[in-house]
Amino acid sequence: MSEPAAAFTAEVYQNQYLPAGGDVVDAVITVTASGAGLRDVGGTPSAAEVIMIDCSGSMANPPTKLSEAKKACATAIDSLRDGVSFAIIAGRHDAQMVFPLVATLAPATPANKAAAKAAVQNLLAAGGTAIGQWLSLANTVFAGHPAEVKHAIMLTDGRNQHETAEQLAATLRNCERRFICDSRGVGADWVASELRTVASTLLGTADGLEDPRELPAAFRAMTEAAMGKAVAEATLRVWTPAGATVRFVKQAFPQVEDLTPRRTQVSARIGDYPTGAWGAESRDYHLSVQVQPGTVGEEVLAARVSLVTGDSVLAQSLVLATWTDDTALSTKINQRVAHYTGQAELASAIQEGLAARDAGDVETATSKLGRAVQLAEESGHSDTAKLLGRVVEVIDAPSGTIRLKPKVAGVDAELANVRSVKTIRVKKSEEG
Amino acid sequence: MAADGGGLDTVHGTECPTCGASVGETDRFCETCGAGLFEGLVPASSAQPPAPAPAGQRWLTSTGAPDACGGCGGTAFGPEGYCDDCGQRRPAGRNHSELDLGVIAAVSDLGHRHRHNEDAVAIGLLPGAEAAVVCDGVSSSTRPDAASYAAVDAAAEALLRALADGDEPEPALTVAARAAQAAAALAAGAEPGNNPPSCTFVAGVVTADEVSVGWVGDSRAYWLPDRDGDPAVLTADDSLAGQLAAAGVPLAEAPQGAQAGALVRWLGADARDTAPHLVTIRPDGPGRLLVCSDGLFRYRPAPAELAAATPAGTPIDTARSLVQLALDAGGQDNVTVAVLPYPAPESSQGATG
Repeated sequence: MSEPAAAFTAEVYQNQYLPAGGDVVDAVITVTASGAGLRDVGGTPSAAEVIMIDCSGSMANPPTKLSEAKKACATAIDSLRDGVSFAIIAGRHDAQMVFPLVATLAPATPANKAAAKAAVQNLLAAGGTAIGQWLSLANTVFAGHPAEVKHAIMLTDGRNQHETAEQLAATLRNCERRFICDSRGVGADWVASELRTVASTLLGTADGLEDPRELPAAFRAMTEAAMGKAVAEATLRVWTPAGATVRFVKQAFPQVEDLTPRRTQVSARIGDYPTGAWGAESRDYHLSVQVQPGTVGEEVLAARVSLVTGDSVLAQSLVLATWTDDTALSTKINQRVAHYTGQAELASAIQEGLAARDAGDVETATSKLGRAVQLAEESGHSDTAKLLGRVVEVIDAPSGTIRLKPKVAGVDAELANVRSVKTIRVKKSEEG
Repeated sequence: MAADGGGLDTVHGTECPTCGASVGETDRFCETCGAGLFEGLVPASSAQPPAPAPAGQRWLTSTGAPDACGGCGGTAFGPEGYCDDCGQRRPAGRNHSELDLGVIAAVSDLGHRHRHNEDAVAIGLLPGAEAAVVCDGVSSSTRPDAASYAAVDAAAEALLRALADGDEPEPALTVAARAAQAAAALAAGAEPGNNPPSCTFVAGVVTADEVSVGWVGDSRAYWLPDRDGDPAVLTADDSLAGQLAAAGVPLAEAPQGAQAGALVRWLGADARDTAPHLVTIRPDGPGRLLVCSDGLFRYRPAPAELAAATPAGTPIDTARSLVQLALDAGGQDNVTVAVLPYPAPESSQGATG
């Protein structure tokens, strides 16, 4: 009997053995979507794309920011599949439709694409920055449209200074689960925490681009990824036994995302966590469950983890717990669980260290960033190590001995911050 | 139990990823820690209640797992065999069984290192005949207990029917092995996969003047005379080492290690050669037939050693004592033994009452 190529797989990495009295089960679940079967899951979902381009006055300084943003926008428009609907929004202290002129989506016909690119070409840099206004208009544009995958790109070059953090948070709550948004900063004045908040809430990615000339490639990559989504919305469904508590559910790769507070209760034993849309990609989740301690020799199902879309289960795997008095078994630490525990600590150490540094708390900043340098070194996260090297002077990486650099370009700290959540996978060769 | 059947796909390394013990490349479970060596295994919950016995015979089997969850008493289990409410694994078989028909008896135990008892045993009495069947799930196969529990019941029922119909012991053992093979093969379900449930088979019939055994695999039958003659192993393991030993190759020259112990015949959907070896002896005087799994004889393989370790007493006490011996010696594997005294009483009336 031949079986169709599996579109989704879920693999569990854990040490299922607990010592007598042990009650915490940790597991890394790798969910991978791949293969020819992927498109068969539900056919290619319909898609809609909204691009929010910062047109504040600072985009003209230097002028390459706006000119590259225009090129990037044109590249993204060219990447849209036939049949996709789209819109372009200009963001300032308010938000304005660039194409089409009314707050709706237009089909990506050759004529509409050409008209949109022409409209983008005419954009001028003038005004302020109120990201919530842009997202709010995007939300209006998407509303009521039947597209299954709704994806947005938000590009800014500065601080969200013409509205309060509370206003942005309120807007994000309205947009949550309505569309996915990737956020990007360009130039030297964007704020990492703002980009991360937008991307995290709207299940997208955040990043900063040092050189405006990187924009077209970045926009193409984001648009193509959105066009490549095969499943519009999937949730991670976690069953746990009676008496068990989910300590946390985190996406651990490609970036750290704590999903724990986003649980939707399905039944007494089952909760759903949003994961957004899926193309051909692989993500790791770190699940930690506290169970009722069993007696030696007992085996229980500590969690059943599935990726679910609508009523269909795309992939499923089991997290087990077995109690043993064999300490050789129970003391073994699963390499992937340990690795992602470290990567999550690395992300917090960077964020907390940079926040302390901004607040002038040299002692905390030195300690946190030193720990970050040490963790980056241990896990072989060279990208993060390099970014940290722009903020601190590394004296001895293995021990985490560092000194804060007295003068740091603002963008270096923001880059280190916005990329703090990016993780790497454990190297195959290092797995025991 | 048994090492791998050979000739199957090499899918993992030679070290158990869980405990580091050396494992056969196609083993499904680690022999040392019992961990599954393949991902996505579905644990078994195969036991079916035995069919009603034909009139005039009496038999007992170790199959018949409790249907309720051992943890919370719930009765709903997910497709993977875990309780829907508390997550406890559904028991695949009883961890410990004691079958006592008075005249004959058997005991089976999980042992200390395994989490499932993949040994299955059934014993039966007819007027003038005693019978026992032991099947040991091959740990290198998928859900081995599915095969062993199904096979033992099918074999016991077929064996007793054939004997009740007047068949001689050897043809009856052949019929029993055929029934066991059919049941073991069916246990694989619609999609057997490349390593379907498999088990060994050994059955013994004791009458007033004969002791007959039939087997496939490396479970054994030992003849232990009360006085006259020497203890003997009646079976020859279906393994490379067993075949060489049977051919008279001295132990010192025989190959060692996992390859030597590798099973060459078994029952299951992927088994080709399943006709049982048959041996019949006509003992000079009274004695006992032990039908057992390797969980017992690994600790006392030589017939004289096993005889020395087998106490006198009622069959159930003897069986308990032998199982305890294996447990005290480490209980590395499931351990099962049936004790059948020779000669069989002319009628089973005393036993059944």
